[in-house]
Amino acid sequence: MRFALEFEHITKEYRSALGTRRLRALDDFSITVETGEIFGFLGPNGAGKSTAIHLAMGFMRPTSGVGRLLGESFGHTGVRRRVGFLAESVALYHRRAERLVRFYGALNGIGRTRLQKRAREVLEIVGLQDHANRNAGKFSRGMLQRVGLAQAMVNDPELLILDEPTSALDPLARVMVRELLLAARNAGKTIFLSSHLLSEVELISDRVAMLHRGKLARLDKTANLLQAGEQVEIVVRSIGTKDFEGAVARNGFVSFCVPAQSQRAALEKVWNLGGEVVSVNPVRRSLEEIFLEVTAEPKAVASKGIQ
Amino acid sequence: MKPVLLIAVNFAREQRWPILTLLLWVLLLAFLGLVTDIHRQREDLLFVFKQDAVYVLAFSVFFGGSAIYNERRSRRILGVLSKAVGRQQYLSGLVLGVTIACAVYCFTLGLTGSWTLGAAGFPISHVWFLMVSLVAACMLAGTVALMFSTFLNPFFAAGATAMVLGLPALASQIFGARWGYVIPVWELGATVLNSSFNSPGTASWAPVLLAGAETLVFWLLSARIFAHVDIAVAVE
Repeated sequence: MRFALEFEHITKEYRSALGTRRLRALDDFSITVETGEIFGFLGPNGAGKSTAIHLAMGFMRPTSGVGRLLGESFGHTGVRRRVGFLAESVALYHRRAERLVRFYGALNGIGRTRLQKRAREVLEIVGLQDHANRNAGKFSRGMLQRVGLAQAMVNDPELLILDEPTSALDPLARVMVRELLLAARNAGKTIFLSSHLLSEVELISDRVAMLHRGKLARLDKTANLLQAGEQVEIVVRSIGTKDFEGAVARNGFVSFCVPAQSQRAALEKVWNLGGEVVSVNPVRRSLEEIFLEVTAEPKAVASKGIQ
Repeated sequence: MKPVLLIAVNFAREQRWPILTLLLWVLLLAFLGLVTDIHRQREDLLFVFKQDAVYVLAFSVFFGGSAIYNERRSRRILGVLSKAVGRQQYLSGLVLGVTIACAVYCFTLGLTGSWTLGAAGFPISHVWFLMVSLVAACMLAGTVALMFSTFLNPFFAAGATAMVLGLPALASQIFGARWGYVIPVWELGATVLNSSFNSPGTASWAPVLLAGAETLVFWLLSARIFAHVDIAVAVE
């Protein structure tokens, strides 16, 4: 398996100018992002997400550990030609949107003719084709974020590293970005997505890592994380709520949860009581629940799951 | 080379307001040339010309000393360095940008100086030599400021630059003129400041070439330091 992004035992400490104060932003952090997946990167403020991203982009050096971006060490200049990056706070020069996208594309060495076409394409993809000749300095935050996304995609990158790409977007634009990322994944691109919008991450990520106090707290396939309850919810009708502990009646149906290993016995009991089984589903948790659970823990637990 | 040029032109473009403000002083020289008797007021014109020359030297330190700080504070640097642009290329772009910004000013000053001072009897070829000297001095001063700005805030970077550029000047006063060539910004500045109608001075290219060579040295030093700087960390 070829990895698009690898962090190997990376620790990053920030030091004050005189070296008297130290802050460990990342602590022995290791993850690998597989080619062609959407990787959700979550964590509360100050967890070290942006630090990890900045290390990957070569904006800073790790205190210890190594990392690779598309097979090259962090900080390798040439490899960034194949990467698209959107920073958390989009800061762009004040010039016309199309020129701006062309400027960033030209920095990646794209030829003039191809760049002209590509700049229009990406602005259309992010829905800014009608604003291509407007000065980005006068754009709203959401529009700036979209121009930021356009400049990140101008070089048709193999790996997109996005730090909060939808934080300033309206619901329609969020759906647009979600579809964009899914289309990119289907085209074989890799997306490393850091976000606080857990519902977005839940919808599109193949795997999720949660960072807490600089340590990896959870890493697993999204589906596994969401089904980690090991309980099933059974929905039935034609029986009362008193027959099962914790059963709730709603709209003529009765639902209750049982441990997965007791599922068979519970279903037989329903049938014996003359009830009808409507559905049996694993109990799904939301990323929000898991996130709250992780961040409430006093100490981050060791990484568990698939790497 | 293309990214360097793009960064340089972009930097000069971002400095368009300070440059335009500076150009008002050149406009003053042109205005004086229009409304005064050039021959009678030629010493005044030369004084304004020299004053304009000193301003651009000061501004080159301002441009160089604040370039990285402003880019880091606005976080625009992340957008540029997230592309296939090395830190050395980025610094080269800034050095070239400072030089372009100052060269635009010097070119305008040269045009105005050729017209006003030339009409008053100053050799036009020497006006252009002085402008080349000034651009070389600005390039070196801007690069020294840029080097300090890789690890200091603009205020301290400007102070440190003034010290580094001023020490050879001081040494030249105490130990002899040769010390002025150690970092020839003072020497080049003095070429402009000491010129007069009676004695415009001779065109000595040695300090200009030395300034070019030292720009390269300070650029290398800047690149060495900047390679180890965490650019995503808040600058304050």
